[in-house]
Amino acid sequence: MEKTLVLGIGNSVLCDDGVGIRVAIEVGKRISDPAITIAEACQGGLFLLEAFLGYDHIVLIDAIQTKDGIPGQVYELQPENFSSALHLSSPHQVDFATALELGKSLGLPMPSSIDIVAVEAGDVTTFREKCTPEVENAIPVAVEMALRKCPAHINHIRED
Amino acid sequence: MTKIMINPITRLEGHGKIAIFLDDDGEVSNAYLQIPELRGFEKFCEGRPAEDMPQIMQRICGVCPEAHHLAATKALDNLFKVEPTSTARKLRELLYSAFFVTDHATHFYILAGPDFIMGPDSPPAQRNILGVIGKVGVEIGKKVIQTRQQNHWVIQTIGGRGIHPVFGLPGGVSKMLSEENRAKTEEIAVQAVDFARFSLKIFEDLVLKNKEYLDMVLSDIYTHRTYYMGLVDENNKVNFYDGKVRVVDPQGKEFTKYAPSEYLDNLSERVEPWTYLKFPYLKKVGWNGFIDGETSGIYRATPLSRLNAADGMATPLAQEEYEKMYAALGGKPVHHTLATHWARLIEMLYAAERMLELSRDPEITGPDIRNIPTETPVEGVGIVEAPRGTLTHHYITDEKGLIKKCNLIVGTTNNYAAMSLTIKKAAQGIIRKGTEITEGLLNRIELAWRAYDPCMGCATHTLPGELPIEIAVYDADGTLIDAVKRF
Repeated sequence: MEKTLVLGIGNSVLCDDGVGIRVAIEVGKRISDPAITIAEACQGGLFLLEAFLGYDHIVLIDAIQTKDGIPGQVYELQPENFSSALHLSSPHQVDFATALELGKSLGLPMPSSIDIVAVEAGDVTTFREKCTPEVENAIPVAVEMALRKCPAHINHIRED
Repeated sequence: MTKIMINPITRLEGHGKIAIFLDDDGEVSNAYLQIPELRGFEKFCEGRPAEDMPQIMQRICGVCPEAHHLAATKALDNLFKVEPTSTARKLRELLYSAFFVTDHATHFYILAGPDFIMGPDSPPAQRNILGVIGKVGVEIGKKVIQTRQQNHWVIQTIGGRGIHPVFGLPGGVSKMLSEENRAKTEEIAVQAVDFARFSLKIFEDLVLKNKEYLDMVLSDIYTHRTYYMGLVDENNKVNFYDGKVRVVDPQGKEFTKYAPSEYLDNLSERVEPWTYLKFPYLKKVGWNGFIDGETSGIYRATPLSRLNAADGMATPLAQEEYEKMYAALGGKPVHHTLATHWARLIEMLYAAERMLELSRDPEITGPDIRNIPTETPVEGVGIVEAPRGTLTHHYITDEKGLIKKCNLIVGTTNNYAAMSLTIKKAAQGIIRKGTEITEGLLNRIELAWRAYDPCMGCATHTLPGELPIEIAVYDADGTLIDAVKRF
């Protein structure tokens, strides 16, 4: 049985930074399937690598800030979208792409597919438990997108 | 005035900016470490029930939630005037020891390793964990990942969750340890001890036996004579979880030793207009500017500081390594910032040994895991050693236990003034008139700072985007005359 991990990443008390966790929780309410694990994380890099091990498919949900991005925009991304960051970002950062490459080079049981749902964040510096209105409004869109990334389990989506 | 910028600082949680100012002769006149710190967390906590603090506080930091969880839990013990049971204390320390093993292992191999294993001047594309694995071998890479996974299992098993533990309660913990999980923890601890010893061997082979690296460690540009701080037990041995805070002077003599509730008698915080972060200093010495020495209240709270501030390690193998380090570096205290990496590995061994001791303690699976608080809360302070320095949580509540005021001095903040000194001195030693600004050269400045393992944001993660480092050189009129980009 294919195992899927739906992983929300962020800080749940740092305004829009926590949107990934908020979306993952909502996805969890809509899915009931032993093959799908809903989890949250607060770190990137190696933590993600370890979290991924043993899963076939990952749906990663996170906040993102892009140049000229409009808060509340929702993106479907693939790891390849970040490959350029591998060596072009800091030589010291253990970034997402590096972590994935490390997993492969060590021969670890890495997932065969990774989908990323990213929500453009507005405020990631104010401590508060709610997102900004623009990002709050984007949560249902991101939830639907994340659910579509679990096609093998679509029959298990609750109708509520 | 010529200005050089390194922005952002890399390999850290949260972003900082190093600004290096050259004078008209091309020499470094000053250097600033500016921190765009997130603010308002203390305010965010006001009005909330004190019991929520162990959960909320750990979300301030994506790197060491366990440290904040336990500092907050200890502050609640103090606030509610309740002592945790013996088993609860041991369970807390067991979890915390596993956390130190994984955190220190990560720093050595992932963050510091590229500088020493690949070399500070190696091409940036190789100076990362992938380069390290390429050089030391896939098996060691697997061992690093395995160590992290195993110790995260211990944290999750004892703490109830993989991240953000849910076990710390005033007077105890929420869950006992089963015999089955104790046995597995013991197995993991045995492996952690082996891994820590293996890591010290790697450090010896790759750094201590390499004259160029050793010269760099001992170089004056990476040396400062400061006060040192760390938690110690009743025998003045290093302790991460509990004890009194001991401070030694630059000669290594005890300057003060205080209980957590006395921290405000010993520390003040300096505010500078060019940064959000405050600079803690020793109140009884005073703030005398960004200088080191006995007359400066600047102190350091790092792995090396903890070893300097203590009389030794409480476990046998770590004690052997402690003695070896001080014998090799000329006795106590050691002032060489880059020796912090060595001290960190000794601490990793101590944490692993302590884990093993605690996992074999007959009390560790005991059922007596909590004393129920009965007192009215007023004020509480909790201190633990975070991997990056002494972590202090201080709460004041109303009679219902709602937070009226909270104050935090986080690990890295202790070292903020010292880090500024370190960057300036390294820059002055490395950038001289006519020096061509190269990537490797900037890395040599940055690595001095990295030894502190700073964690500035106490915030969270970044999904990868471009993290450019730009070095811009301006002439005295402010005109851009040169720029180096790493992207």
